[in-house]
Amino acid sequence: MGAPVRSTRAPTYRVHGMDTVIEIEGLRKEYRRIRGSRTVAVDGLDLAVPRGGVFGFLGPNGAGKTTTIRCLLGLVRPTGGRCRLLGVEPAGLHRVIGRVGSIVESPVMYPRFSARRNLELLGRISGIGRMRVREVLDEVGLAERADDQVKTYSLGMKQRLGIAGALLKDPEVLILDEPANGLDPAGIVEVRVLMRRLGNEGRTVFVSSHILNEVQQTADRVAILAKGRLVATGPVREVLTAGHATGLLVRLDDVPEGLRILGEAGIDARAGDGFIRVGLPPADAARVTRALAERGLYLTELRADEADLETVFLELTGGASTEGAR
Amino acid sequence: MSALLASEFRRFRLRRLVRVLVALEVLAIVATGVIVFLTQEYALVGLPDVLMGTSLVLVSVGWVLGASAIGADWHAGHVTTILTWEPRRGRVLFAKIAAALTGVFVLSLVIQALLGIALAVAAAGAGSTTGTDSAWLAESAGVALRVAALSSIFAGFGFGLASAGRNTAVALGAGFGYLVIVENLVRGLRPQWTPWLLQDNAGLFVVGSPIEFPLLGRSTIEAGLYLTAVAVALLLAATGLFRARDVH
Repeated sequence: MGAPVRSTRAPTYRVHGMDTVIEIEGLRKEYRRIRGSRTVAVDGLDLAVPRGGVFGFLGPNGAGKTTTIRCLLGLVRPTGGRCRLLGVEPAGLHRVIGRVGSIVESPVMYPRFSARRNLELLGRISGIGRMRVREVLDEVGLAERADDQVKTYSLGMKQRLGIAGALLKDPEVLILDEPANGLDPAGIVEVRVLMRRLGNEGRTVFVSSHILNEVQQTADRVAILAKGRLVATGPVREVLTAGHATGLLVRLDDVPEGLRILGEAGIDARAGDGFIRVGLPPADAARVTRALAERGLYLTELRADEADLETVFLELTGGASTEGAR
Repeated sequence: MSALLASEFRRFRLRRLVRVLVALEVLAIVATGVIVFLTQEYALVGLPDVLMGTSLVLVSVGWVLGASAIGADWHAGHVTTILTWEPRRGRVLFAKIAAALTGVFVLSLVIQALLGIALAVAAAGAGSTTGTDSAWLAESAGVALRVAALSSIFAGFGFGLASAGRNTAVALGAGFGYLVIVENLVRGLRPQWTPWLLQDNAGLFVVGSPIEFPLLGRSTIEAGLYLTAVAVALLLAATGLFRARDVH
């Protein structure tokens, strides 16, 4: 794969010359309802996911994240477009499935079997032995309950078991659909650390999520989806700064005096609610502190003015979910 | 493929429903043995008739096990999990069919063997074993094999319907509706269609006596082949649907 895929319908950020593991071009999926109406779940999606690291796949409910993942894994047939996982289209997926671990929505295991037995049955399909089963159960913190029936597990434990199943093949690509669903705060942190570690090991972790804080802390790159369309993709920092002028936020006791001093120093400054927004990049923060200090005005807070992923996400997706689509 | 088959066979063996049904059947066999022993009248030479009598139970169990082998997976969503390990749907379904049909066949044979042993012990202790020669043994074995094959064929019917309907209940409901209502109606209203009814062909296949089924106009083997052809057609249709439809 040479040039990265780029959407023509939305702002994108090129994956400069990187080797990609997931390529999606013009992917479209419609669901027909019994009375003939159609629901467009994915509408001409273009996406390229580079090899290695954590890639966040974001979107409100019904944006088409799970449908995209299902298309990639050959569970759902696209209405149009194409997608490739590790260079192969869904028809040839069996050639690479051994290198791909995945969770699609809530992981499903046999409830009356133990976690160990469930994983052994799955592992048997790929010739994976009991030693590896023990390793992954240990890795997700289920070793002590490994022989209990899955039906006795909490939602979080089932989620961990799903992650164990995804890790069982020691995959180079992990596709995780909302892996933090049902986990308690400690579990969420563990999953975040696990994803980061796997990403640092050179594996590609493709994770769909609506917990934006998690993705912001974990992902190297993100793609944001709304109503089945890509609205932004690229490194997290680039997406965060897209459409936002970089600047500084200055908090001090006397805002009007601060505005006057900065204005006299030729620095673009506007009043905010209890702070001053300065039109200088964070690297020029010293100019602000110097100008204020020379006139005997000392600031109480100075920080970069950049949006968090949640703000960007809400701006790009219009802030509304699209329940009803899939 | 062999790994997938091994996984499905193991899963079939470990299923709770299989274990519960086997336990119930074994319990019934023990009770039968005890009752026969206490009545002190049983003649073992009648074993083939007893085995024929078990066919309704074993065929029903086969239908339920075949249907639930795939219906439970659809209901729970486990089909998605399996397909993320083996995306070739034909292979997945073939492995499940093979495990279910073979499992039901072996199970039916084992149950009949256990019943035969229980009755033999009872007859030897407090009944009669007169007439149990090699011809009797061959006849008994033939009946047991035909009942086991029929159970397996009906497991195929159940599997095919449950796979197409993505639910065990669909297969059980459709099976009951067809066999009890449709076939009885057809038998009454259109007797000339009897040769194509499953119940009549199943009866002939188990009993092995075409004279007792004059309306069918076919041999025991032909009845078995007809039932097998219907099961294969149903399973092929289910496989086609499984390959074509989205999995959620």
